[in-house]
Amino acid sequence: MSKKEKSKQEDVMPTIDDFIRPKEWVSDFVTDMGHAIRDWGEKRYMPVRQHVDEDWAEHKLVEPLLKEVLVDLGINAAFFPAEVGGTDIPDPFPCVTVICEELARIDSGFCVPVVCSVWGLVPILFEPHRNMELLREFGPKFCGPELYMSCHAMTEPQSGADIENFGRLHGKTIQTTATLDGEDWIVNGHKIWPSNSGETADLFVVLCITHKGSTEPNDFALILVPADTEGVSAGNPYQKSGMSADMNSDVWFENVRVPKRYRLHGPGDDLKYWREAITIGNVGSTAMCVGIMKNVYEIIKKWTTERHIAGKPLKEHSLVADMLSEIAIFIESTSAWMWTYVREITRPDIYGWDPWDERFLLKTRGLALYASNSVERACSRAMDFMGSYGYAREFDIEKHWRDQKVIGIWMGGKGLKTLENARYWYDLETL
Amino acid sequence: MAVLYPSNEWCQEWKNAINSSEAAKNAGKDWGTDFNGNWLFEITPEGGLDETTYVYLEAKAGECADARLISDPSEVEVGFTCTGSYEDYKAAVKGEKDFIQGVVRGTFKLKGNMMKIMKYGMFIRAVANSLQSIDSKFLGE
Repeated sequence: MSKKEKSKQEDVMPTIDDFIRPKEWVSDFVTDMGHAIRDWGEKRYMPVRQHVDEDWAEHKLVEPLLKEVLVDLGINAAFFPAEVGGTDIPDPFPCVTVICEELARIDSGFCVPVVCSVWGLVPILFEPHRNMELLREFGPKFCGPELYMSCHAMTEPQSGADIENFGRLHGKTIQTTATLDGEDWIVNGHKIWPSNSGETADLFVVLCITHKGSTEPNDFALILVPADTEGVSAGNPYQKSGMSADMNSDVWFENVRVPKRYRLHGPGDDLKYWREAITIGNVGSTAMCVGIMKNVYEIIKKWTTERHIAGKPLKEHSLVADMLSEIAIFIESTSAWMWTYVREITRPDIYGWDPWDERFLLKTRGLALYASNSVERACSRAMDFMGSYGYAREFDIEKHWRDQKVIGIWMGGKGLKTLENARYWYDLETL
Repeated sequence: MAVLYPSNEWCQEWKNAINSSEAAKNAGKDWGTDFNGNWLFEITPEGGLDETTYVYLEAKAGECADARLISDPSEVEVGFTCTGSYEDYKAAVKGEKDFIQGVVRGTFKLKGNMMKIMKYGMFIRAVANSLQSIDSKFLGE
């Protein structure tokens, strides 16, 4: 092949930017914002990516990088109203999707604390259900010059992430209670695993019940608890298989007293708008899977192009090409499905349901399940063909392989995702 | 008295409005200090505007040093170029259309360092908000 022909071929060789992202729905600004995050990641995060696993307990490396993204790049402030110092970016869902995808391509474990910094606040953050009183109080902290992060504290020791199965369990397993005492809530309970727990969070969004054992939707409550409130304590960070940039620990709330106005909305609406947060969690998890797979694509493409076996590049062997094809199909299919749902959530006027609609939550479970299965398979197949090199830290496939596993486990696990998806499509009555 | 948008007189009013804005001063105190923070607004013909018109805005450290019409974009060196139709710019000047919303949704095409745009979102909003303090009149109305 002549130099000119080779150069021409490289010009048209697809890149990660050629996987599906409908330009009719995603503006140049959103894509450019993604590229800005990518540029930041290449310069600031990639040089330390292989050292983050050792930083799991202290976050000496991670915390300054969180500040760069959340404060200096304005991700924390992006979705807050202008009145409280935010940028108030409209149509948050495409932006969140691109942020998740680009950060997860760098390190999904780093993406998690970034997006979870405001995830629990979704019920009060987005139009048309903003709680301006709370946003005026806490918004300036998120939009200010110092790092300020929140933690969506849901999971409990008694029933794990079953707490998310509100459609069947109706909150009866929730053990964390909020009891009104005059003008204050008294919060008691024990949470495990929430992202940004440990010493990371400045503010907890605590999922609780106002009457223990109740299955009444009005008793489901989301209450803000500043981390420095008396009675709040956190355990040591967990050492995990991966996602070391995401700090998780136990959190205890013992007779924690906060003002009555710290309940995000009130009876009924807390549950209603929490569903939107869960739906965004499903789509965001999918975007993380896409981001990981895109980096796997980059790594395996380079590896199979540069490594020669039996006189030709690895990728020219049919068994290898089969694996490469499968990975590309996973990325393309997951992206197409994901962006279609992002479109649906962004345009209720066309699709007929609001972002907090329970039916949409159930439907996005199927997407998240498909994405987590795809990324697991993509990482595993790439590793199979890189052999021991894929298992070595140097090439980062093993990092993604360790990190991605929890995406399928969190938010109710694959079991809940399967059941809720089936519940939507088949109108299950008992599951 | 209302001033015509776009005109040099209007640009002068915008400069004054930015320099009177505490929000712009505070949020933009580092804007353009270590990068080119100047803007070129390309207004394409529509709704009364007959030819492409360029508004140049020199912004640094939360203040505006210069704002004027230019005939040739190569006259100036800018860090950011924003392109949109006269109808859309008119709506932004009137406050009927949120500028940032227009950029995010693609009504206005923005070229430049997106990391700076993200970092200085509050400054850009303050500069956009300053438009509404100008008593403007428009072509075609």
